[in-house]
Amino acid sequence: MRVLSCEQAMKLFFAYLDRALAGAPLEDLEAHMETCLSCCDKLAFSRQLDAFIKTRFAEVAVPDELESRVRQALDRASMES
Amino acid sequence: MSGSDEPTTAQEEPAKQPDGLRSCFEQLALPHLGYLYKLAVRLTGKTQDAEDVVQETYIKALDAFPTLREPERIRSWLSQILSHLVIDRCRARPREFAVGDMAELDRFSLYDLVWDEDPLPYSDNLHRDFLAQFPDDDVQRALLALPEVYRVPLVLLYVEDLSYRELAEILGCPVGTIMSRLHRARKFMERELWSCAKRRGFVRSEDA
Repeated sequence: MRVLSCEQAMKLFFAYLDRALAGAPLEDLEAHMETCLSCCDKLAFSRQLDAFIKTRFAEVAVPDELESRVRQALDRASMES
Repeated sequence: MSGSDEPTTAQEEPAKQPDGLRSCFEQLALPHLGYLYKLAVRLTGKTQDAEDVVQETYIKALDAFPTLREPERIRSWLSQILSHLVIDRCRARPREFAVGDMAELDRFSLYDLVWDEDPLPYSDNLHRDFLAQFPDDDVQRALLALPEVYRVPLVLLYVEDLSYRELAEILGCPVGTIMSRLHRARKFMERELWSCAKRRGFVRSEDA
């Protein structure tokens, strides 16, 4: 097992949050987190920031005429092919 | 219900029945139009670009419809086509961070800056309350300031909840590249929010 510095641990935070870590890197990070309160707080903040950005995606209004414009585009494409 | 003696349906043999193919496609694909348009707006940041890319997506998807093996996964299939088109558009006008900028980005920590500055001394949850101050527009602007090669995987991750492997397949790059882009994309968002906090006077402006 590799002993991680805080800087090395932080580089793995997002992959950990995205469930993309496995095997030795995951074990190394988990071992670091067991002993480093500061990194636990920073990881919690990274999770909080992800959730914050997701909830702040702007509401998007779909134009009423979009479906008819897509149908027309499909008609044109069918005629050209 | 039609009789069971009819050997073929539009879905089983669409290529031989163009009208059936088209109506089958529309029936399956058009219910996802709103979803795709919203995804396109979030990926491109512009409603006109989003509409163009959605139209292109449907044209391409109709063309490739006979190759669709799992109709129940049509939404994710359409999202992939749309993402490819957005990436292809970005290739024509690529934007990247400068190398020096990347090193600075990798070290950037919004957590540390907020902790050091302590802009809300009476808060019992400093970082949560700091984030809660930002209006939605600020987050949108920060996302749109991201170069596309970073924004596209980040938005796909947030909206589609794709794995790194799926993102790597869609975006045509190694998993390691996806990992570093998603890391930098978040660091960039942190830095943009800090700049924004300074502009809005949430924190002292002489710092960082």
